[in-house]
Amino acid sequence: MDAKAKVKRGELFSTLSMPVLLVILIVFFSIMSPRFLSPLNLTNILVQNVHVAIVAAAVMIIMISGGCDLSIGYQMSVAAVLVTKMLSVYNVPVFIAVIAGIALCSLLGTFNGIMAIKLKSNTMIVTLATMSVFQGISYLISESKTYHNLPNSFMYIGQGRIGGWLPINVVIMVVLILIVGFVMGCTGIGRKVYAAGDSPEAARLAGLPVAKIKVLSFTCAGILVGIAAVLLASRSGSADSGTGVGIEFTGITACVLSGVALKGGEGTLWKVIVAAFVLGVLSNGMQLINLGTYPQYIAKGVIMLLSLYLTNRNAQGM
Amino acid sequence: MKHITKDYPGVKALDDVSISFEKGEVHALVGENGAGKSTFIKTISGAITPTSGTITFEGKEYSSLTPHEAIELGIAVVYQELIQFEAMSVADNIFMGIDSESSMVINKAERNAKAREVLAQFDSDIDPAALVRDLSIANRQIIELAKAMVRNAKVVIMDEPTAAITVQEQKRLYEVVRNLKAKEVTVIYISHRLEELFEICDRVSVLRDGQYITTVDIHDTDRQGLIRYMVGRELTSTYPEKKPAGTEVVLEAEHLSGNGVEDISFKLHKGEILGFAGLVGAGRTELMHLLYGAAKKTSGTVKINGREVAPRNPGEGMKAGIGLIPEDRKFQGCFIDKPIFWNISISNIMELCRSGVIDRKAEMKQAQDYREKLRIKTPDLVQKASGLSGGNQQKVVIAKSLAALPDILIFDEPTRGIDIGARHEIYLLMNELAEQGKSILMVSSDMEELLGMSERLIVLHEGHKTGELERPEFSQEKVLTLASGIA
Repeated sequence: MDAKAKVKRGELFSTLSMPVLLVILIVFFSIMSPRFLSPLNLTNILVQNVHVAIVAAAVMIIMISGGCDLSIGYQMSVAAVLVTKMLSVYNVPVFIAVIAGIALCSLLGTFNGIMAIKLKSNTMIVTLATMSVFQGISYLISESKTYHNLPNSFMYIGQGRIGGWLPINVVIMVVLILIVGFVMGCTGIGRKVYAAGDSPEAARLAGLPVAKIKVLSFTCAGILVGIAAVLLASRSGSADSGTGVGIEFTGITACVLSGVALKGGEGTLWKVIVAAFVLGVLSNGMQLINLGTYPQYIAKGVIMLLSLYLTNRNAQGM
Repeated sequence: MKHITKDYPGVKALDDVSISFEKGEVHALVGENGAGKSTFIKTISGAITPTSGTITFEGKEYSSLTPHEAIELGIAVVYQELIQFEAMSVADNIFMGIDSESSMVINKAERNAKAREVLAQFDSDIDPAALVRDLSIANRQIIELAKAMVRNAKVVIMDEPTAAITVQEQKRLYEVVRNLKAKEVTVIYISHRLEELFEICDRVSVLRDGQYITTVDIHDTDRQGLIRYMVGRELTSTYPEKKPAGTEVVLEAEHLSGNGVEDISFKLHKGEILGFAGLVGAGRTELMHLLYGAAKKTSGTVKINGREVAPRNPGEGMKAGIGLIPEDRKFQGCFIDKPIFWNISISNIMELCRSGVIDRKAEMKQAQDYREKLRIKTPDLVQKASGLSGGNQQKVVIAKSLAALPDILIFDEPTRGIDIGARHEIYLLMNELAEQGKSILMVSSDMEELLGMSERLIVLHEGHKTGELERPEFSQEKVLTLASGIA
């Protein structure tokens, strides 16, 4: 009975830690800066973290399937420069350019998955290699240039407001989160992804096509990353090969903070999204109270270490 | 003389246990899973600190030991899961942490020579320069024992040393144990295989539910007596009676080869339990994986109900009507960190979906049905599988296989690591399933289980079929002869 109560407490802790942290940060920053709670700033936090949240969802799918992807930043970079170059240099219709960018990203993701299966290697190492490949591809496409002069209809995706107040990109994010959450939590396919990540051998012997499931997870993540790239490029109005680089670490951080297991098979989307916004609020708030980028890095790292400490202590408490 | 005494008033894991071990005796420690054997040896080895009680070693009293102190005193443990430096040589493993060498730089040749000397005491010709990860489990155990010798161990604790080694290797291990005994070393021997205790032990102590039951001289008891002490009640018949199988052939393998087995032919009848005997590495599991589609066959045919099938993966094997209960419950059978209902539904999850969305009600209902049918003892089905006892975990794995509605069930080591009491439950279930018309292939390394449960036996040796026995011809000796490839 006592042990059971402890398990319950551990579960409660892991469920509530991120929401509580988010509330603490919001309270703290609103005391420290009067501007923090203004509608403008809150909207900014949402809008600025749309692509982060989507990438975090992508990372979660891959991590649940038992993998890890370090190449996501350069996948985004490839998609962003491809789309913006098509638009600004070749005047390709927006719709086609966007679809091309997303399709390319899904191919890059699939490539990662197939490589990991065929080489029978750790996905972290495989994507370390493909990261370099994608980096090269990105610079070959961009020729180290930055692409501006994007058509208004493209910019509207990232900057437009429905009814003058509801940001379109936030709506897209919410829809994607609902879809991913539903597929992972309520469908047979989602269940299979968890099984393949939790114990690949048990899943194989239970008749699941483990290799297919893993590749498919990378493909889906690729699609999400492609969409995130389009949203980021259209919001900032330009893109170069540095666009999106390093985003995978923010995504992985959000996943780890929310308790997505590195060994696979565990993770809950809403917790990941909350964790992504914990990171978003942290950097926004620190900006407002005039702490620059570098202290932010330190704060991010400290929060991660703290959460590891608390998780571990709870696990041992059981 | 040593008198190790310990008690733990009020603590469930070990409740006021006192046992004394004498110099130069082989003292067995038996009990069901969860009886407290591991906790007990861990207090001796210093891995955990007892809440109360004392340990007296050679007249000196300790309230607790640290691992370092235990080693200093000469207490060595050979764990079931060997903890070794896999990528280092045998000699390096044996001498790791011993500072007897004269210089800073390790003299490899000298070290190997010394290691060979130590190993010779065990009549072992293991190459000291070989890497540990390339050795068999039996040889790795010998290295652990050699390590203990080098450290002048006075007490050697062996935790289920024969769980994963072949009959010949067991014989050699018994020799080694007698050897240690002759050197006045005390051996504390933990085992689930009661038969072997009568071969090598002097005395047996029994634990049950964390409590000390008794210590008896091995000559003053028998197998039934020990079981009575362990489970606290009489088990009348370990192997339940079963209605004989029909004559209709359900599965027929002809000249099947691949995955390490060659030219295997056999027939399985409806409602039959067909046992597969053989040593570790004889290819029994490999053969089962061929049938199930978990491995590729190179030649031969398999017919199910007269129709040829060639599953290329387990999914196709399941569609062909085969279910597998894998040998390694924790890594191949169960999703240990997932809820029970989740485990049960994973192999037929798509059938529980309505246009791709899982029907939670149907999923829970299926889990409840199997909980009743298989008598899975758990208060709720959302509990993680890791919280169940071995026997109940195995029932969950069986439920998972049954959910895909197979006609043929493969039980690979159905009762490995399961308590004697719970084993009987699994046997009953297997019989019930067979009587309901399922046909069963059973792989087991437990001779009594094979002889007690099977209606026919097929014996494999190094990937070849060396014999087929009908029930009247069953005998331990016959099976062993065939399994050793002597016949």
